[in-house]
Amino acid sequence: MTSFRILSPALLRCLGVVAMIAAIIAVFTALEPRYASYGNLSAVTRHMAANGLAALGLTFVVVVRRFDLSFPGIASLAAVTIGFLIASGYGLWFAIAAGLAIGIPVGLLNGFAIGYLRLPDIVVTIGSGSIAAGLAFLYTGGQSIFQNFITSGLLDLNDTRFFRINVSAYFLLAAYCLAGLVLHRSRFGVALYATGENPVAAHFSGIRVRACVMAAFGLSAATSVLAVLLLIAESGAANTNHGATLLMPAYAGVYLGAALLGGASIPATFAGTLVITILLDGFSLLGLPYYYSDGMVSGILLFGVVVFDPRVRRQLRRLAASVLPIAPNSEFRS
Amino acid sequence: MAAPVLRTRGLSKRFGLVHALAEVDFTLEKGEIHALLGVNGAGKSTFIKILSGLIQRDSGDIELDGARVDFHSPRAAIDHGIAAVQQHPELVADLTGYENIYLGREGRGRGFLSRIDHAELRRRGDALLARFPVDIDLSRPVGSLSAVEREIVAVLQALSRDGIKVMILDEPTSTLTEVEKDVLFRMMGALKASGISILYITHRLEEVIEIADRFTVFRSGRRITTMESADIRSKRLSLAELMLGETIDHIFPPKPADRPSGPIALSVRRLRRPGAFDGIDFEVRHGEIVGIFGLVGSGLDELSKALFGVDRAESGSILIDGREVSPRSPREALKDGIFLVPGDRRTEGLTLTQSSVFNVKLADLDRASGLFGLLRRRRNRRRARELAEVVALTPPNLDRPVSSFSGGNQQKIVIAKGLFTEAKVYIFVEPTVGVDIGARSKLYALMRSLAEQAAVIVMSTDCDEVHGLADRSFALYKGRQIAPPAGTMSRNDLLTAGIMGRLQ
Repeated sequence: MTSFRILSPALLRCLGVVAMIAAIIAVFTALEPRYASYGNLSAVTRHMAANGLAALGLTFVVVVRRFDLSFPGIASLAAVTIGFLIASGYGLWFAIAAGLAIGIPVGLLNGFAIGYLRLPDIVVTIGSGSIAAGLAFLYTGGQSIFQNFITSGLLDLNDTRFFRINVSAYFLLAAYCLAGLVLHRSRFGVALYATGENPVAAHFSGIRVRACVMAAFGLSAATSVLAVLLLIAESGAANTNHGATLLMPAYAGVYLGAALLGGASIPATFAGTLVITILLDGFSLLGLPYYYSDGMVSGILLFGVVVFDPRVRRQLRRLAASVLPIAPNSEFRS
Repeated sequence: MAAPVLRTRGLSKRFGLVHALAEVDFTLEKGEIHALLGVNGAGKSTFIKILSGLIQRDSGDIELDGARVDFHSPRAAIDHGIAAVQQHPELVADLTGYENIYLGREGRGRGFLSRIDHAELRRRGDALLARFPVDIDLSRPVGSLSAVEREIVAVLQALSRDGIKVMILDEPTSTLTEVEKDVLFRMMGALKASGISILYITHRLEEVIEIADRFTVFRSGRRITTMESADIRSKRLSLAELMLGETIDHIFPPKPADRPSGPIALSVRRLRRPGAFDGIDFEVRHGEIVGIFGLVGSGLDELSKALFGVDRAESGSILIDGREVSPRSPREALKDGIFLVPGDRRTEGLTLTQSSVFNVKLADLDRASGLFGLLRRRRNRRRARELAEVVALTPPNLDRPVSSFSGGNQQKIVIAKGLFTEAKVYIFVEPTVGVDIGARSKLYALMRSLAEQAAVIVMSTDCDEVHGLADRSFALYKGRQIAPPAGTMSRNDLLTAGIMGRLQ
């Protein structure tokens, strides 16, 4: 163990993540040589952009220690709204603004019900997510919308490249930098962490705890709209199923990242989503049905939480201590 | 008299450097009511926690009916016939009295799925209750019962096990009205008549005279004396003399010789919140420490929260520098220049998993951030380092999670957090709970130096702390202010005022 002392724990964790990603890529490339091809890596960056955006907003909700299960529904509603407006001949930017204008209020409404009215987060967001998804279905009757998509410029979000890299990747990077600034370098971020970790102490420190909760849900809704926009651009059609495909990668990304890097944060979500995305992409390239790949990704998520979460590890040590007669090293305390 | 039911010899317990209990020899006779007296921190609670199996002794013996016993858990104590009712009994509010009494032991069947026989519970519960001259409706949910009814349910729950010989009650009367107290005393009398010995903690001497056969006084972890209750009258003992002992002046910083004459920083006028406090009237000058002493349930905590805007007072006014403020939230109180150092620092004062840099800036994010709400990181860090030096944080590490610091150093971080806001009025509630004796004197010195630049209020259930630290002090008794005409009170008078509700 002494040899590791020169590296800080944070750096050690980062190296662990890099090693994990390298191992995953090596295994997939060995199984399927096409994995390392330009075409596939380009697909990975595009999927990463969509998953990463959904996970980004969710990170804020997880930081205030709440759950949001509504964003897939909100994303579906925004998807058909954007599709409908483009099909009706409105401009791309107008359609995107309308998608955000319909998604964000639903998120804020969630936040109001959970933060101010103190309703249970899971019930509220399942409810509002179902209603949003239901409205999306009413709109379309389950049909895909694709009229005018080619001429609208929407598909350029998927196809445009700078230096052979998709524009959505730049978009994702910019969003992460901005979110990192907000969460880790601004007073708003401090207030969010304080709200999540000890709402009573935060309230006693003059922080508007309820407003923080509400804002987090608003952000989650906003990024899910942007995420689904990229999904529409990739598939070339808007339909009600788009939102649901965001749920598992987003949650798995946030929680795996938090486990890997020792807490929910913007870099953690980035690392977590990246791992989940290259895994999902690899499995689909191998032709594995989704029920296998989802199961395997979930297994890796559980593994990551068990290995990296200090609370889980402490619990395991306690279990070990009750089985083994030798006392484990006690924690450092002054 | 027959052999005692319970005896301890040389019972000792240390927490870190503090001798919570030192060499306690104690006997409890069969069928007696025995009161435990002592100021906060005297060792009463540690003593009954050891007897009820909640914590383990370091050394000494416990004998029950003449045989040495060892309790490793509350369960083991109950099996030996010692049942304890905590100060705030843990009952399930949504279940009925019957269900609470037999919680976990409802049926004769085995396993989760065995049916609960409600008629049987009712029969057994009524039979248990019939042994006592009290009348309560056990079919109501416990959440709808009064304080004394809940206490009785908790006692019945403890008694519902077979073979209980000793019943321990931790301050059962502190939240009861006079009428409710009589109900509880009837119950205690009936327990005694059935041969059960009762050990109970109280702060009130008149109760001892009324109900107890004998009493024992604890002071700084030692048993000072055990006497017959009748001796209180015949020997004209004073509670203060019994409980306080020698002054421990040396841990308090010297008070300024002349009375502080700075401008009035805070004045409170006829502040009232029904059920908590009424007619609170006082002022604090810049450069002054005002102390308020009160027992648990005196309204101390509620008063501090009203001043800090957590719960609003119903009427009355609060003035800062002569300007009326009525904080509706801690946010507004902080803006008005009031900072609360809460009694429960771990839940109300600190974000334990985060560093001290994070915590210190938390109460004034306006000051901590600049353009676009971006944090002034370098400046915050420098300020946190300066404040860590001012409060003498040890170790002076700004990045370690706050949870890894000792209680005294956690309190210093809360004080640094207050200093960061540059408040005008600091309210300390129970400032040294969970702080060891060496660190206490450092905290007191810090509070005194804080008073040089601001007004300080100290609210505590520790009479010595209030008296030793404050320039002026008064007591709070059941929500009423017991203040001396002259502004200063002797230590004994302050204790009497807080415990009996009157000036001598």
